[in-house]
Amino acid sequence: MQAFKILVPHFKHYKKDIFAALVAIIVSAFATLYQPKLLENIQRAIMLDQKDIVVRDGVILVVLGIVAIISGIFNVYYAARVTQGVTSDLREETYAKIQSFSFGNIEKFSAGSLTTRLINDMNQIMNMLMQLFMQLLRMTILIVGSFIFCIVIIPRFWWATVVMVILIIGFGIYALKQMNSLFDKFQKTMDKISGRAQETLQGVRVVKSFNQGPQEIKEFNQTSDRLNNYNIVIGYWFSTIMPAFQLIAYLVITLVVYLIGQGIVAHPTDVAVVSPFFNYILTLLWTIMIAGMTMMQFARGNISLGRIKEILDTEPDVKFNENAPTDVLGGSVEFDHVSFTYPDGDDETLPDGDDETLKDISFKIKPGQMVGIVGATGSGKSTLAQLIARLYDPNKGEIKIGGHNLKDVNETALRKTVAFVLQRAILFSGTIASNLCQGNSRAKLHELQRAANMAQASEFIERYNDSFDHEVEERSSNFSGGQKQRLSIARGLVAKTPILILDDSTSALDAESEKKVQQALEHELPDTTTFIIAQKIVSVVHADIILVLDDGKLVAQGTHEELLKTSPVYQEIFKTQKGKRGGK
Amino acid sequence: MSDTRKAIRYFIKYLKPYKKGIAIVIILSLLSSGAQVIAPTFLGCAVTDLTKYLSDLKKGTASLNTFYSALWSMLLFYVLSQVAIFIAWMVMSKFNADSTNDMRENLFAKFQRMLVRYFDTHQDGKLLSLFTSDLDNIFNAMNNAIFEIISQGIMFIGTIVIMFMVNQQLAWTTIATTPLILIVSVLIMKKARIYLDKQQDEIGDLNGYITEQINGEKIVITNDLRKESVENFKTYNNRVRNAMFKGQFYSGILFPLMNGLNLLNLAIVIAMGAWMIISGQVSQAIGLGLIVTFVEYSQTYFQPLTQITSIYSMIQLALTGARRLATVEEQKDEDAVPNGKKIHGLQKAVKLENVHFGYDENKEILHGINISVNKGQSVAVVGPTGSGKTTIMNLINRFYDVNSGKITFDGTDVRDIQLESLRNNVGIVLQDSVLFTGTIADNIRYGKPNASMDEVISAAKQADIHEFIESLPDGYETQVNDASSVFSTGQKQLISIARTILTNPDFLILDEATSNVDTVTEEKIQKAMDAVIAGRTSFVIAHRLKTILNSDKIVVLKDGNVIESGSHEELLKEKGFYYKLYTDQMAFD
Repeated sequence: MQAFKILVPHFKHYKKDIFAALVAIIVSAFATLYQPKLLENIQRAIMLDQKDIVVRDGVILVVLGIVAIISGIFNVYYAARVTQGVTSDLREETYAKIQSFSFGNIEKFSAGSLTTRLINDMNQIMNMLMQLFMQLLRMTILIVGSFIFCIVIIPRFWWATVVMVILIIGFGIYALKQMNSLFDKFQKTMDKISGRAQETLQGVRVVKSFNQGPQEIKEFNQTSDRLNNYNIVIGYWFSTIMPAFQLIAYLVITLVVYLIGQGIVAHPTDVAVVSPFFNYILTLLWTIMIAGMTMMQFARGNISLGRIKEILDTEPDVKFNENAPTDVLGGSVEFDHVSFTYPDGDDETLPDGDDETLKDISFKIKPGQMVGIVGATGSGKSTLAQLIARLYDPNKGEIKIGGHNLKDVNETALRKTVAFVLQRAILFSGTIASNLCQGNSRAKLHELQRAANMAQASEFIERYNDSFDHEVEERSSNFSGGQKQRLSIARGLVAKTPILILDDSTSALDAESEKKVQQALEHELPDTTTFIIAQKIVSVVHADIILVLDDGKLVAQGTHEELLKTSPVYQEIFKTQKGKRGGK
Repeated sequence: MSDTRKAIRYFIKYLKPYKKGIAIVIILSLLSSGAQVIAPTFLGCAVTDLTKYLSDLKKGTASLNTFYSALWSMLLFYVLSQVAIFIAWMVMSKFNADSTNDMRENLFAKFQRMLVRYFDTHQDGKLLSLFTSDLDNIFNAMNNAIFEIISQGIMFIGTIVIMFMVNQQLAWTTIATTPLILIVSVLIMKKARIYLDKQQDEIGDLNGYITEQINGEKIVITNDLRKESVENFKTYNNRVRNAMFKGQFYSGILFPLMNGLNLLNLAIVIAMGAWMIISGQVSQAIGLGLIVTFVEYSQTYFQPLTQITSIYSMIQLALTGARRLATVEEQKDEDAVPNGKKIHGLQKAVKLENVHFGYDENKEILHGINISVNKGQSVAVVGPTGSGKTTIMNLINRFYDVNSGKITFDGTDVRDIQLESLRNNVGIVLQDSVLFTGTIADNIRYGKPNASMDEVISAAKQADIHEFIESLPDGYETQVNDASSVFSTGQKQLISIARTILTNPDFLILDEATSNVDTVTEEKIQKAMDAVIAGRTSFVIAHRLKTILNSDKIVVLKDGNVIESGSHEELLKEKGFYYKLYTDQMAFD
């Protein structure tokens, strides 16, 4: 219940609601509890022919009914206020925390897991809170109360009630343990089922072209039958528990009524006890069963709370200096003996110390230079670029932009200085304009047009009737890969930052468009420091300086002509690409 | 309304095989409910007998015998009711599980038969939720709601019948308020439904927002949009909060309302009973017994009414699930052409003749394509993105069918060939490689599950992936799972090439991957491609110049039309589109 602490600060905002919900639930629980006792009184009064008491208690019963309704509705109202309030406040706190994370933090959790936590886990927590404010106290009062009443009504037979409770709880716990291990197996098999289904969905063309449908069905059915067996056994347990519990209760009731009959001469008023005892025993049975289910809900909620707490307890591993000025930094970039390893990079296939993605990198770039970065896949090109935008911090060494150490700058200043166009073009739902303006929220239409022109995006944007206001659908499914990349480049250009990084962001463009984008960058942004990460040497031939990476090391730097003469790695890359193109 | 009918028809279809079980369950429920309703009458009798015994005590004729027999009868009926319930539930859990299993297996089998178009136009996540949430909702409802409806219905009617048999006056009193209660609960449930639906929508929106933001987090960070992101989040979050509050409130108040109304009804019943005693209509002993019995009845009578809410939402979810599953079952199957021609290898040529095609009927993508691939030839298709290259592949293998024109395999229209036979003779290597859970060996022998280990290794060697596999600790037995991070894109591609080599198809379609792999891997893939093409007739959707240069014929596709075709040299001489494409890629200076 450690994780429960994260709820406490939020509870404080709803003190009055919590108080009202609890008062209402107590009132309603006592109303429910008092009802069989009242019935007993009425019956006794009828038996003794006490008309005024019958009338009085009859009125009380009516009042009780009305109180039960009103207190019940009040409880639901305030409980809903607290539950939804605390849940949404906690969700907001968690989301804000996520937005303070470094990219490394987010990767460690994975985007999918964070979404699941914000939706599914918060849902479990909401269910738990609902139970807490609508059921828990009520159940406690009802269990304790009906237990006490059972005993108080006929104190002689206290042991009957105790035996029943012990039997029910004992059997209940045993059954739960058995079922828990079944649930576990069920869940694992269920994961296999959805895994298999997902695979065949993704690989539908492969399955079909190899005619493997029947084989897939055979294997799926094996797993499905296994799942079915678990389902049946779990069903058998459920079929046993309820009748068993009820049977225990009825046996106890029969026994007690039998004993009452035996001793009726000595205790004649016990006649009126039969009906309320019956009611209290059944209330006790039902509340214990519901309490059992509530406990299961709590256990799930507690696990979810733990998963949320894990987010809240994580400290962002990249911290900016909030007190530093927010002015734009300069366009120079300097790496000084920078080494970097991905957090959690416990790649077991590599020997220790060999898992550094970047090793001792040093270079200096002057404002306005065009920089090419080449190297094989996995040589660390993208990583290097991400360090410039401080998506991660280096493990060793320093990075300076405009002469400022990145560790000392204000985040806003850095974001105003560096624009980053990612390898994977991602657009957000909204309009083309709203996406482009993410780079600069105050950008004017002509600025958007200029950026779109340079990114070779104008051609297709202008084809839409609503041009820049054209809708971007969810998952940007209404744009092709090439279009997304062009828009993504345009977004980077709208920002008009002194430093622009293009991380292999022209891969889906045809050669002609790519060339045009390159030319536009060269001619229209002479003062911008541009980093171009590329697979193909042809993309960086015109760069002022080309950085050649090989297995995380900076093995050479210089112009295309220089590198062709001096760098064997560069020559090698050039040779394979040239060869592929059938010779120049 | 027809939606509901569709869902119900779905249920009937899957429950039909379990008629016997259902009959047993209904009979046992009747028995159990009957016993459950009758049992309290004996408790009432016992109380009456005891009261009578006390008054008879003075006369000296007192006997507890009737009390005991009433008590034993009560116990007998309760035991009977619980035993009947127990057996009914055992039977029911079995056939519920079995019929859900039938639904699941049929759904999967249906997936294997459906058109590729269906998968291309529906999101994986939504289809997957058929297996997880929809079937789960159905199973839940069958286990809890459907039985509950049967048994509560029987209880409800049974209670009314017995009440009228015992005492008409009190029976009328008990059910007098019911119409009012029903009206109130229907009104509240309608309201709750509206907000619960709204709640689902709002959660969907919030989920969409979070997914988009976190998946695009690099963009959010590098554009300094984090504060804005939190602000927008608040708007979505608040909308969820408001909808959820109303949903929780309206669906929550029904229970206390019913509980309270139950108490009020009890008061009315007791008042009536008391009045009957006081006014002398019945003796005190009988009257007291009647009150005890009717207090029980009134509660049994109310139970179905209080449980209506939880059952209602469960049923709603199950109906929605059944409707979705039924909709999938309605989808068209692939035409397997069971009586079609069987083919054994390619003898002459594969031809596309005046092929017109569009994924969308109104949007034609291919406008009358003619291409022929003669036996032993390798034909490369080139052209800019969106020219329709990949679409051609979809047509030859009949993932889609042409709108007009035809594709022939040795002169036979592919639509007249047995589908299985056609696909056995046509091998494909897709752009995106898909691996399945299992070992590497399983993946390589995927198209031929009974292939020997030697065949697997030989295919891996041809695809130049053998050495890599051997270098893994578990070699060919290495497990592939969803994460499959062990393999790079390039390696996955090589494994999928080996998979195709193993099936030894006569005619091959290759969709070259555009993905970025480093030059060394690219060389390997190139070699593997050469190996798989050698000695076969092939049709290559080419992105690499080397592949293009090695082919016997080049077809240039642009905007859905073949604009040029011929050998590399011929096309260069034409100085047309191919020439431009070639020189652009070569733009080195």
